[in-house]
Amino acid sequence: MKVVVDDIELDLPAGTSGLDAVFAAGRDVPYFCAHPYLSPVGACRMCLVESGSPRRNPDGTLVMEGEQPKIFWFPKPMAACTMQVTEGMHIRTAKTSDVVAKAQAGMMEFTLLNHPLDCPTCDKGGACELQDRAFEYGYGASRYGFDRRHAEKHFPLSDFVILDQERCIHCKRCVRYFEEVPGQEVLDFIERGGHTFIDTEEGGLPTGFQGNITDICPVGALLDNVARFRGRNWEYDHTPTTCTLCPVGCAITVDARNGRLERVVARENREVNEVWICDAGRFGHVFASEERLTRPLVRVKGELREADWDEAILAIRRGLGGLNPADLALYLNADSTLEEGAALEALAELIGTPSVDHWPRYGANVETTATLTDVATADAVVVLGADLGEEAPVLELRVLEMLRGGILPPEFPHGTAIADLRLVERPTRHPERLAVIGGAPRLSAHAGLRVTGGQRALARLLRPDTDELRAAAKLLAQAKKPVLILGADVLHSVSRELAAGLSDLVTRTGTKVLAIPAAPNSRGLAHLNLVPRAGGLGYDRLAEARAAFLSRLDPGRRARGFTIVHDTHLTATARLADVVLPAVTGYEKRGTTVNLEGRLLPLRQAALEAGEGADLIRTLTALAEALGVRTRIRGLKSAQALLAERLGVDVTDLPNSGVIRPLGRTFTAPTGLTFTPRLWKERMHPNPERRGSRVPDRADRIATWERTGQAGGDD
Amino acid sequence: MSYFADKPSLLADIFSRYPATPQGRRSALMPLLREVQDAEGFVSEARLAEIAQLCGTTATEVRSVMSFYSTYHTLPTGRYHLQVCSTLMCALAGSDELWDYLVSELDVVPGEVTPDGRFSVQKVECLGSCGTAPVVQLNDEGYYEQVTRTKCDRLLAALRAETPPPPDHPVPVTVREDGRQMLASGERVGASVADLVPLGGEA
Repeated sequence: MKVVVDDIELDLPAGTSGLDAVFAAGRDVPYFCAHPYLSPVGACRMCLVESGSPRRNPDGTLVMEGEQPKIFWFPKPMAACTMQVTEGMHIRTAKTSDVVAKAQAGMMEFTLLNHPLDCPTCDKGGACELQDRAFEYGYGASRYGFDRRHAEKHFPLSDFVILDQERCIHCKRCVRYFEEVPGQEVLDFIERGGHTFIDTEEGGLPTGFQGNITDICPVGALLDNVARFRGRNWEYDHTPTTCTLCPVGCAITVDARNGRLERVVARENREVNEVWICDAGRFGHVFASEERLTRPLVRVKGELREADWDEAILAIRRGLGGLNPADLALYLNADSTLEEGAALEALAELIGTPSVDHWPRYGANVETTATLTDVATADAVVVLGADLGEEAPVLELRVLEMLRGGILPPEFPHGTAIADLRLVERPTRHPERLAVIGGAPRLSAHAGLRVTGGQRALARLLRPDTDELRAAAKLLAQAKKPVLILGADVLHSVSRELAAGLSDLVTRTGTKVLAIPAAPNSRGLAHLNLVPRAGGLGYDRLAEARAAFLSRLDPGRRARGFTIVHDTHLTATARLADVVLPAVTGYEKRGTTVNLEGRLLPLRQAALEAGEGADLIRTLTALAEALGVRTRIRGLKSAQALLAERLGVDVTDLPNSGVIRPLGRTFTAPTGLTFTPRLWKERMHPNPERRGSRVPDRADRIATWERTGQAGGDD
Repeated sequence: MSYFADKPSLLADIFSRYPATPQGRRSALMPLLREVQDAEGFVSEARLAEIAQLCGTTATEVRSVMSFYSTYHTLPTGRYHLQVCSTLMCALAGSDELWDYLVSELDVVPGEVTPDGRFSVQKVECLGSCGTAPVVQLNDEGYYEQVTRTKCDRLLAALRAETPPPPDHPVPVTVREDGRQMLASGERVGASVADLVPLGGEA
């Protein structure tokens, strides 16, 4: 479709919005209410453009003006976000039209009419779209000399989100977000006209995905309570990386200041998390900068004393002296990177220990064939024994996206379409496309078909014994693009017989399967031989080991003999250890993680203060030194070279959005433990103020800014 | 205590006016609010939550819709709820002065009820009677027009004596069962659905 923007001719797909046409032409137009993943509503009226179209005569020919079709201009500027471009349309932006420039400046003046201009003290300063756009498109002066309207300030919507009603410019992004994305209508406009403010009647925001509204608020009205007043945007070191709290692998930006992790914000990865992240990923980061182990600890006369690495290595050498290196059991947390896994595998082979394990994991690997985009665009989804809120929260958002028609905004050279006109407010949802069997309490509220009891759910689905299960099986059989999501309740008891039944179902119905791994990188580590070999002790038999090395695992038990713990904090297990080595968190690692789809995603190192903390590769090198062996992997480069050999993938230069590559065979072994997924760990506590992060206690806050009674519907 | 629990036929009647879909259920929000307000004088938080549940939505959304209209109240109102139009025409004709006088005379501000439970006041948007500004509306009943200070005194005295004077202009009350409008005085005005004739003459 031919469209002309500021005399630049463009060829755009049908259905493109005026806003995207302007950006496609490389021009700029300010906007506050439009958002790539929310419905366009034309609320802020900032994206005004002049537009005109050719018109046809009654005989179907174009009305001509000389050689060219005559353009009939609309009498007034139009909001570009809700306007669909049509064949031959002309658009003028502020760059070429004085009318538009004046209208935008006037609109900016109007938007700022009652805005409190807290910029010097507002924590959004430096990242505020209103501030930036007022500078670029405003008059630079206001003609309104009266006192501004005052509303509630510092109003805690929840423990995590603070609302400042004065600053709100009524773009409605947060209201639309809650309605359209997690499907929880807890925020809305109250009152009307100039009195309008945002509030909730539910007494707070639902935990799960509430933090996203602090990202999308174009002003400082909704602020992240964990991060606010910790630094200005330009003071942070921004590190684009991947979240390693669950197997989804959301794209995040880690903001550090003076070596402290102050803020985590969502980053766009169209294939994985779009632009949303869960509350645990956003707010559960306080542990990265608090109570960290910064130096090795060595047990001297029954007590753990600070030491340096040399002393720690010496203590290990003494402790393991006289022991066969093959008796040293090696266990690592399954959120370790592929590189770390490869390093451990290499060391295990070198010393010949059969006792190697990673945790958490399941006793069997179920092959995953679906991607998150497959889930979002499926026409039927059956969730089996999964509590997505604990196992993979953002997957829940992708399932909800499927319920509203699976519309993924198109991509332009300037990025994701900013105003996708197919997205509508209060979209029609299709609950009949979703069946939830067991688990997933939150998601079942949206499901057309709910069956309780997650135990044996897979076996029961394969041989349906009730009408509801038969309906769920029929849903998979009749859909064109069905997806089956398997969660912890199912995966910890997958037998060979069940796996065969599942593969039969997959071939029969063309169902794609998404098995949620037990840990952030379980999927990747399963391709390395990190399970107990013949005669070896699994992680469940740690207490029997003559000596053990545990990396960031906290079973609360120690090995029978010498125990080395590598962790970021002084955990219960670390307190029992003989030597404790300081580790780094997932925010400070370089390496590769594999998410639940099998997508290789890069981890990058944020500038955090970790003292002498070391990642697993360096720690294993030190351990090898203590054992008197020379391991092949002594750094990231050699680990990546080994991965290229072992798995046939080059992970040295992964794109931000990651890539899906086959990683070859997987290793499995039975496990004697049952894994219960829990997203929030103790140290990421949901009440950050309880964790000494110096955020005032909620009771204190309420006492300070006491919520006054709202007059409600009366003026 | 629930308001609608013992009124299944009323509920069925209200919901029957809308399509039997989730969207249709939400549409019943306004008549449910009106029902509660007519009965209790205002809509409390408990009622708000009850209506949200009936409509399959959240209390936030009910409050959002409700707060858009100045005719719904979240706080109790007095027996005589005086609403002063504050839009431009009335303002030019002295509604601000009238409001100040009324508020100081009754010693009551919006959201409050006088200790005797008799009066409450509210500023409202355009009452659509610019020609007779300034205008005061009493409850849902009718307009007192061109309200000067003397007229206001007379009105308050009458109300204190529990003898509300007849309104200068009864408010049209819309939609009786036949779709006909009716004034508060009971006079029928306008046409009803029965008067509609299909295009092209008798069917």
